[in-house]
Amino acid sequence: MTTVLTPWARRTRTGGLGTPRRHRPPLLIGAGTLLVLLFALAGPLVAPHSPTAQLAAPFQQPDGRFLLGTDVLGRDVGSRVLSGGRTIVLTALAGTAAAGVVGITAGVLAALASRRLGDLLLRCVDALAVLPALLVVLVLAAGFPGSHTALVASVALATVPFSTRVLRAAADTVLSSGYVEAALARGDTRWAVLRHDVLPNIAGPALTDTALRLVASLHLTATAGFLGLGPGGATPDWGRMVSENVPGATLAATPFLAPALLLVLLSVCVGLLAGRLADTVGRGAG
Amino acid sequence: MSRQIDRRAFLRRGAAGAAAMAVGPGLLAACSTDEPASDRKTGPGSSPRSGGTLRAAFVGGGASETLDFFNGPSALDLVRARAWHGTLGNLDPSGPDGVRYGVLKGIDIADDLSAYTLHVRPGVRFTDGSELTAADVLHSLSALAANSKLPVYRLAAANFDLAHARADGDLKVVLPTLRPIADGRMILCQGNFLVVKDGTKNFRKGMPSCGPFRLTEFTAGQGAAFERYDDHYGHVPRLDGLELRSIADSTARAGALTGGEIDFAHDLSPVTARTLGDKGNVELVPTESPYLVGLSFQMNMKAKPFDDPRVREAFKLAVDRQAMVDTVFYGNAEVGNDLPSIGFPDYAEGLPQRAHDPERARALLKEAGAEGMKVALTTGPETPGMVEMATLFVEDLKKVGVRTSVRELPAGQLYADFPAYAALPLAGSYQMPIPALSTYQMSTAGGSPSAFGWKESATDTLVAKARAESDQAEARKLGTQAQRTRWEEGNQVLPVFKPNLNAQAKGVRGIRDDLFEQFPGFSQASLA
Amino acid sequence: MSLIAFVGRRLMGAAVLLVVLSAAIFAATAVLPGDAVSAVAGMDASDAQRAEVRAELGLDRPVAERYADWVAGAVRGDLGRGFVGERPVTDVLATRLPNSLLLAGLTLAVTAPLAALLGLWTGLRGGGADRFVSTAAQVLAAVPEFVIAALLVAVLAVWLELLPRVSVIPLGGTPLDVPHALILPVLTLSAVGLAVATRLLRVSAADVAATPYIEAARLNGVRGVRLAVRHILPNAAGPAVQALTLTTGALVGSAVVVENVFDYPGIGRELQLAVAARDIPMVQGIATALAGVMLLVLLTGDICARLLDARKGHQR
Repeated sequence: MTTVLTPWARRTRTGGLGTPRRHRPPLLIGAGTLLVLLFALAGPLVAPHSPTAQLAAPFQQPDGRFLLGTDVLGRDVGSRVLSGGRTIVLTALAGTAAAGVVGITAGVLAALASRRLGDLLLRCVDALAVLPALLVVLVLAAGFPGSHTALVASVALATVPFSTRVLRAAADTVLSSGYVEAALARGDTRWAVLRHDVLPNIAGPALTDTALRLVASLHLTATAGFLGLGPGGATPDWGRMVSENVPGATLAATPFLAPALLLVLLSVCVGLLAGRLADTVGRGAG
Repeated sequence: MSRQIDRRAFLRRGAAGAAAMAVGPGLLAACSTDEPASDRKTGPGSSPRSGGTLRAAFVGGGASETLDFFNGPSALDLVRARAWHGTLGNLDPSGPDGVRYGVLKGIDIADDLSAYTLHVRPGVRFTDGSELTAADVLHSLSALAANSKLPVYRLAAANFDLAHARADGDLKVVLPTLRPIADGRMILCQGNFLVVKDGTKNFRKGMPSCGPFRLTEFTAGQGAAFERYDDHYGHVPRLDGLELRSIADSTARAGALTGGEIDFAHDLSPVTARTLGDKGNVELVPTESPYLVGLSFQMNMKAKPFDDPRVREAFKLAVDRQAMVDTVFYGNAEVGNDLPSIGFPDYAEGLPQRAHDPERARALLKEAGAEGMKVALTTGPETPGMVEMATLFVEDLKKVGVRTSVRELPAGQLYADFPAYAALPLAGSYQMPIPALSTYQMSTAGGSPSAFGWKESATDTLVAKARAESDQAEARKLGTQAQRTRWEEGNQVLPVFKPNLNAQAKGVRGIRDDLFEQFPGFSQASLA
Repeated sequence: MSLIAFVGRRLMGAAVLLVVLSAAIFAATAVLPGDAVSAVAGMDASDAQRAEVRAELGLDRPVAERYADWVAGAVRGDLGRGFVGERPVTDVLATRLPNSLLLAGLTLAVTAPLAALLGLWTGLRGGGADRFVSTAAQVLAAVPEFVIAALLVAVLAVWLELLPRVSVIPLGGTPLDVPHALILPVLTLSAVGLAVATRLLRVSAADVAATPYIEAARLNGVRGVRLAVRHILPNAAGPAVQALTLTTGALVGSAVVVENVFDYPGIGRELQLAVAARDIPMVQGIATALAGVMLLVLLTGDICARLLDARKGHQR
């Protein structure tokens, strides 16, 4: 193995002037994230009441029957909170995955292609970044009202430019490193070079980028719910619940705090995980 | 200063009175009900002071706000126009003929109901010194209102032959009717027929106006400022100035009110209004009947099984109206009886309030073979409360065995795609406060697309007959009969009438005295 | 190539891109179901009235023709009038866009120095402070914007009553006339940008600090603040500058949540209303203007990057 290192291996991450940093695998954060994801995805199964039925007067304080009180329309906050994460998580995951696939493909292609073609591809993707993200979300939501797919697509479109840039830069660095040229000279096909040299070495930044984009997708999905776009009606959705119950916050705090805190918890866990991954990968060998 | 104003106004009233007497006794019958001096009396204890600037906040319309109120779609455009320009008149149940006239002295109806004669009040001055004449009224009606795209101005064109309207001298305008109607005064004095100078094409700050205030500043999307117009023909305002602001978010509007930055907040959402309950310095002043907005659901008679009247009745029986009033509006709303325009003189009288009877609903559905039917309710947040009510209606329907869910469209979309809307089986809708029979003719008669399949020429004829009947008692009987048919067999579920939930700082008075509450007027308002 | 030539080429490219994007936006809004006829004519208009309004708005003409008309007007500076209320689009842009730019600019002015400070400090020090700040930054970045907005309002305006819930701007004035109206919106928007920029700077600063070039400088006696600001920062700022330009540019059009919650007169809300009403000229004008702003911001960012590169070249 040559000694030419990829940028991600080059960084020694000395964290300061020469002191080696402690490195712990992010077990705690990872476990926390998994727990919240489980809560969001499996919650609807354990909801005590129907999340859409009007059961009592609005904004009642928590009591024995409704552990978190009732919301703006007298529905059980607890059941709604249990049911409100699934849409957000699934949509964000789907959007992130879609954008990830497109981003990696575009990034690698851009790096593999000639300089001019690569620049052109990047310019096309940049055009997407220049388009106001809000417009994309609004237009797609208007064109396909209530559709999960439209929301996923708008989330993906909004985040593709970012990852393409990052991954192209990463692939570029790998490709311009000596040993890829050597491999090609040796007679390995481009495809083999791609599989064995490029992809594994961009796996690190790709993973980090994915985690960052997942946070962004979560935000976008929740904000769309907050703005009243996306699957509406009585479907519980944490973002929507915050927007519905914030005006009544002085009457009862739990209907707005519970979904808000859950959103924060989910995003924070994923965000911290992303950060830890970035650190870990930064220390990894090439 | 205030006494000076009183005297000037008093003299003018005297002059008008003298002129009226000179013209002839016939006109006295339709004489204006100018505010009697007694309303200047202050309430016991408090004495509203003269002066000050009242700041009011409305939702506004963002970029689409305009001074051209004939084309301005947001409520604030009309509120601004009301403060700025003179009106033909407003609905006033306590006034003669049921109206309080503005720049008019009275309206005469021809015996055969073929023409209406508008008598202009003499001595009304524009801010540029010129007098208001018939030509100005004619221009405002037949040139501007007739060409307006706004639904509210269509009432004039739908009832009067504006192309053949003419001015008869300086003080008379003759409006021929398109078909005989007896309630034309109610149409013309709705409150939104405002008068601008003859020949007006552009609306800008500084144009001559004859309303209670003079516009001094306007920034679209932000607000407008006014100062008192001392030469106003009618009630000269107590306020020195007026500021109308646009604040789109309901909680922000309420926050500005409780924070003392404004004195009046218009149309708060029900939840926000509720949170103001325990604030000591503000009070809730919801609009009163008839200025209530009806929130309804339309059943499409072209879609099975809504062609069966039993299914329609089942849906009307299934809805728990009181629960909607209590849950969505915290009691600040009125129960509806499936007919629009409650509180107007031509609203049906004597009809029993439909009960909440889910058992009977279930039985009816079974009888019609529609047990377990599946239908989606489509609605959107076009006005606050629509989506919430749809959510509750869906739960009510589930309790009688209907398989249903809410399909919510993003704001603006429900009506944007109108052909799709008119094809929906079950759709949310709302009714603005317009007299009952006129509402029927405009949106339901003749198989109009927004009638969702209702096509009953017998009822249409009855409504036209009711409107053409000069005898008020007979007219009311006919109108009620027509509405009863709608009530029994119609395809509209109208469970709730909601008011505009306005709020004001304690001590503010007199906004309600200016009538036409839907678009508040400030000519009689005063600060604490 | 020289800076001038670079800028020239990028400007030409930007112009081409703007045209392409405006066509794409026009096509997208034309394909959306529904149109502005109901918004203008009301929902109980008769079919004849609808047809009349449709003809007046020009909606019965083919899409390509309408787009060509729009371009012809746009090149002359006339962006047309909105369907709803008939206000000139340029008026709306002239009054609202500067407000959004102001907000974005202030956010950048708050975020950049703070990020530089925190990023350099933690990147160079390491240890406990580093962990704490980076974790705090990540947590902050993870909180959705509307939650931050709601919490800031609840704490600062309602509970502590330090700031008014909403600040009414005097008529004819700008948000600058009421500076305290800007505090809450800028705070909300800074939160995310700060976190991202701090993290990027921290990583690059640590990287650069380990290079031989900095070792040499240190051996030469340069240390402390001087070392950080004059030697490390220019080399480390690259990725952070990129990220900040992207986020600031996007901020101009996407601050809808902040505009709604704090009633800030920005352009995002106008776009939202225009799309809801299918007000095509308004959507077209606003979206194209926002794309133009983003392109300018990106260009500025790239110029900064080039200047930084140039400095780097000199110092090596």
